[in-house]
Amino acid sequence: MPSLLLTIFILQLTIHLINTVGATAIDELLWTLYNTLPTRTRSAVQDSKTLRAEVVRLRKEMTATSSQDEFAKWAKLRRGHDKAVAKYDDNANALKTHRQTFTRITTTLRYLGTNGLRLLLQFYFAKTPLFWIPTGWVPNYAAFLLAFPRAPRGSVSVQVWGIACATVVQMVFAAGAAAWVLLMRGREEGVGMGKQGRRKEEEGVAMGGGGEGKKEI
Amino acid sequence: MSAAVDADSDNLEPSLQSIISQKSLRWIFVGGKGGVGKTTTSCSLAIQLAKVRKSVLLISTDPAHNLSDAFSQKFGKEARLIDGFTNLSAMEIDPNGSIQDLLKEGGEGAEQAMQEMGGIGSMMQDLAFSIPGVDEAMSFAEVLKQVKSLSYELIIFDTAPTGHTLRFLQFPTVMEKALAKLSQLSTQFGPMLNSVIGARGGLPGGQQLDEVLAKMESLRETIGEVNTQFKNADMTTFVCVCIPEFLSLYETERMIQELTSYEIDTHAIVVNQLLFPKKSNDCEQCNARRKMQKKYLEQIEELYDEFNVVKMPLLVEEVRGKEKLESFSEMLVHPYQPPE
Repeated sequence: MPSLLLTIFILQLTIHLINTVGATAIDELLWTLYNTLPTRTRSAVQDSKTLRAEVVRLRKEMTATSSQDEFAKWAKLRRGHDKAVAKYDDNANALKTHRQTFTRITTTLRYLGTNGLRLLLQFYFAKTPLFWIPTGWVPNYAAFLLAFPRAPRGSVSVQVWGIACATVVQMVFAAGAAAWVLLMRGREEGVGMGKQGRRKEEEGVAMGGGGEGKKEI
Repeated sequence: MSAAVDADSDNLEPSLQSIISQKSLRWIFVGGKGGVGKTTTSCSLAIQLAKVRKSVLLISTDPAHNLSDAFSQKFGKEARLIDGFTNLSAMEIDPNGSIQDLLKEGGEGAEQAMQEMGGIGSMMQDLAFSIPGVDEAMSFAEVLKQVKSLSYELIIFDTAPTGHTLRFLQFPTVMEKALAKLSQLSTQFGPMLNSVIGARGGLPGGQQLDEVLAKMESLRETIGEVNTQFKNADMTTFVCVCIPEFLSLYETERMIQELTSYEIDTHAIVVNQLLFPKKSNDCEQCNARRKMQKKYLEQIEELYDEFNVVKMPLLVEEVRGKEKLESFSEMLVHPYQPPE
């Protein structure tokens, strides 16, 4: 059943991506996207922006006005400022409750779409063999582990396939990250040879010492 | 816009006549920064109002009581007629009266009760008075109860400097909140407390918990009533006193904004200690001060175009004693004409 194999791989990839990017960052992005749509909170968000700009403008104007020489003007600015701040706070509070609801819903949906789906698949296809291993390829106890927990002996179970996918995804990403770092370092070294080289040498000495210490133990 | 402003300032007379002829008023507060002449203004206002009202009570809530000083007569916690008047009384109260004082006033019973209850008593006390401003609010409530029973037609408060005033005006709100919380607590924990206290036969002093709670409830009603009266522009107004200087003006503006947020009406400003030097004088200092005062006066008139702005001159002598206050008070009604 190649589609199930692929589904589980993609699912594990998605989970890994979400974990790497971070749930809050995704929520942030979704909230921004949500407010570009013609929703109820859209106008509130825009109001909030204009109000903040207004408050900043008034504050600037207030500092530019001498309270001693032009008290009347200053006091009027201050009244406007206080009013705008109060309005902004109200608006921000209202938005905050909306945002909380939104985050709760997206979190639930995200959970259902990833880990929920994974659990469902694992439960539903628990007895299904994903693919068969030719007899004699692995010893008996390994075959038992591969079929764990309920798939027929001699096949690979959903759980094991999921774990394998997750491990591979993780390893590939780790390898990618390491390669990236190496690449960047190589480029840096190419740019600033002098200092970098000397430091590298020192590091090498330190590492060598550490290695010897280990050997002794 | 300027035309409309001009029209407005033309319409509003520069005197407190509107307050004096407003017969529905029951509470008047006089407040402002320290040293601007609140006491003088409130005494003068009281004298003018005593002419048109049946009975007027002047209360000082400033801990630095100045009423005694202004009338050269000793006033205390009880209302007392001012010498030379038949319908104008005065009293001085301390807004910082602590709860211990209140307990003492409540008689030996209350104090004894708290002591005998031991742990629970002090715990209850802590609980009740952990709410900020409650002990002051309690003494304020006591005063209000007293004042209400005295049935004066008009009560003028000579308040303490700004910060105090605003706290004082907040008391009814604070008090209402605190008491609402207490009565809620008591309905929730009342049965439990009763069973604890009941085991040793009710509160010492022969009181029952329910009685105490009922008392509190009635206090709450009084406070609530006063609160609605304070927020009613027909019954209560606030007279701001200031001098034409930056800090005083700043405080006045802050106070007016806060009063608006408490929904307390204010539409009169008394500008005190104005200098009116003769044109043909060569006192450099006087002319410089006059120039500065003029600048702030213009700002006041621009900013407070919906207010009665009363301009009072700086006199060459201290305003103390009945006669001087009376002549000073005339200027609240008939605007002072500066010499040419």
